[in-house]
Amino acid sequence: MKKLKFVLLGWLLCATQVESFYCQQGSITYQTLTMGYNSSLYRDFATSPLFYRGSGINLQTSWLKYFNHRVRIFEMALFYNSMSADIPASNYLQPSAFATFIQLHFRYLRLWDFNRLSNEKRNIKLGGSVVNTTNIRPNSGLFNNALGVENITNIMATLQITRDISRMTERKINLGIFKPVLKPKKMECRFQLNAGLLNVNSRPGYAFSYADELNGLETEAWILSDYRLSVNGWRFNTELEWIKYLPNGNARSWAYVWDAAHVPGKFEAFQMATHQIRYTLYFNTTKN
Amino acid sequence: MIRLLAFLLPVVFMFSCEKIMFAPDQASRNALVNFDYLWNEVDKKYSYFELKNINWNTIKDTYRSKLNENSTDQELFDVLAKMLNELRDDHTNLVSPFNISSYNVALKSKENYRQRTITEYYIPDMWQTSAFSHGFVDNNKIGYVRYESFMSEFTDDELDFVLKRYQNTKGLILDLRQNGGGNLFNIPKILSRFTETKILAAYNITRNGAKHNEFSSRENFYITPYSGEKYLKQVAVLIDRGSYSATTFFSLVTKAFPQFTLIGDTTGGGGGLPNGGQLPNGWTYRFSISQLLDLNGNNFAETGVPPAIVASFDWSDLSKDKILDRAILELQ
Repeated sequence: MKKLKFVLLGWLLCATQVESFYCQQGSITYQTLTMGYNSSLYRDFATSPLFYRGSGINLQTSWLKYFNHRVRIFEMALFYNSMSADIPASNYLQPSAFATFIQLHFRYLRLWDFNRLSNEKRNIKLGGSVVNTTNIRPNSGLFNNALGVENITNIMATLQITRDISRMTERKINLGIFKPVLKPKKMECRFQLNAGLLNVNSRPGYAFSYADELNGLETEAWILSDYRLSVNGWRFNTELEWIKYLPNGNARSWAYVWDAAHVPGKFEAFQMATHQIRYTLYFNTTKN
Repeated sequence: MIRLLAFLLPVVFMFSCEKIMFAPDQASRNALVNFDYLWNEVDKKYSYFELKNINWNTIKDTYRSKLNENSTDQELFDVLAKMLNELRDDHTNLVSPFNISSYNVALKSKENYRQRTITEYYIPDMWQTSAFSHGFVDNNKIGYVRYESFMSEFTDDELDFVLKRYQNTKGLILDLRQNGGGNLFNIPKILSRFTETKILAAYNITRNGAKHNEFSSRENFYITPYSGEKYLKQVAVLIDRGSYSATTFFSLVTKAFPQFTLIGDTTGGGGGLPNGGQLPNGWTYRFSISQLLDLNGNNFAETGVPPAIVASFDWSDLSKDKILDRAILELQ
């Protein structure tokens, strides 16, 4: 065990040294600001067999650091969605159910060039990410089970394919009266696939709501003390992004992101999926 | 254009990906599907089968046969409501858009509270401070405080004011008759004013397995003393069958306080915490998932906390509140 610790410590030191070497070689850094529209759904079998669907917005910021052959990204995001249950139509009196779906999302991602499949126009990177998502789902119709909270952490394998789709020469388009001229521009199309390798989740206990959560301080237990940690389920995430670089070094992009997870937990499963259309501004923060 | 198509095609493909990966939609108006769903949820999580000696399988046989796939919403509601009422538990309700089922334990016995008798014959100058109606009885020797509902919120300052007003009395009457319960946070908020030491007051156990008798280990429930205004003299708590849920919880917890005396009729029960859920047709429900035990392990929080002194309102003489009279006698 001591030997293992020694090896790990040595690896960590080496990694830090290698990283600082690369830093000295020069890197490009960006900070991004993102706004997006979400279409989401979830189903929590502990309280309802129904899908809740809805839409909302997301705000996100991230820090990107590009080195010669690798990239490091840290991002955090807040999602807010208004949801309603998919209830079958009744010819007597139609029920309705509404909920709010809030997600706090953190991701740390590291990618390395995969040179064997890369060329001048195409760059392929492989790596991994740690994703942590906390869902907060108030639904007043569910009485004492009105607050659904779960935490989902995933260690994911990541594949990123970037295609250079830059316009190298001026191009004239004939639209009859209008004949716009498209100037040369640096553009990229980027596809990223993340697949969960280790999926950890924290979900409510057998009964879902417990006295310590309702009585607060007058019990010995902490709030959420009845939650159970499980290693099961799956999570997939895909991102398709179209980036346009500006002459000043900044960039902007449109992206479509799909994220889906199945969380069996220890007792009853939770499922969620989010589709996002995002607009991102990249601010080049590289220090010269 | 080709580049644009190359961008959009995978988007369209991914837009419905999760439909393949998730289990099928279980939304349904089929009466039997909804019956089975509710029956199973109660079977898995309800906390009082053994205490109340309820054979849940027999109940399924009795009620499922009254439905078929084409039963109407009204027929389904009637059957499910009757099935849930077999649990004899007011923390058990079925909520549809057109009706809400309830057991109504308070209607199954006599009412023991008449507000007008108190305001007309005992305390004509009743004060109203936030959630509390209060005044003096027995020639200003005893304080009377009525707390109508645990749903009613109040501030520490307001409770300080009420208790300060009665500091020079011999005792305090806390009237919780017909108080149907509410916010559990208000239980320690009030009781913390009646102790100088931290008191272990009750235990809670919660269903945590498929078997009807599978429960979590006991969870301690404490009352921690408030640092400000307190009342440490004798207290009589007036209760009846309308004292339900948080009020039953409160009544049970007072058994750990030596200066408290319960007077009136047995409380309505409702010591178990209710959960909440939704059926495949969108209706919602709740039922008890835990049990509240006193320090001796007694489970009468569900069947009702009995009073130390039994008293009853005499409806043939509306100028007298015999339960209040008995409390005054006890505190004199």
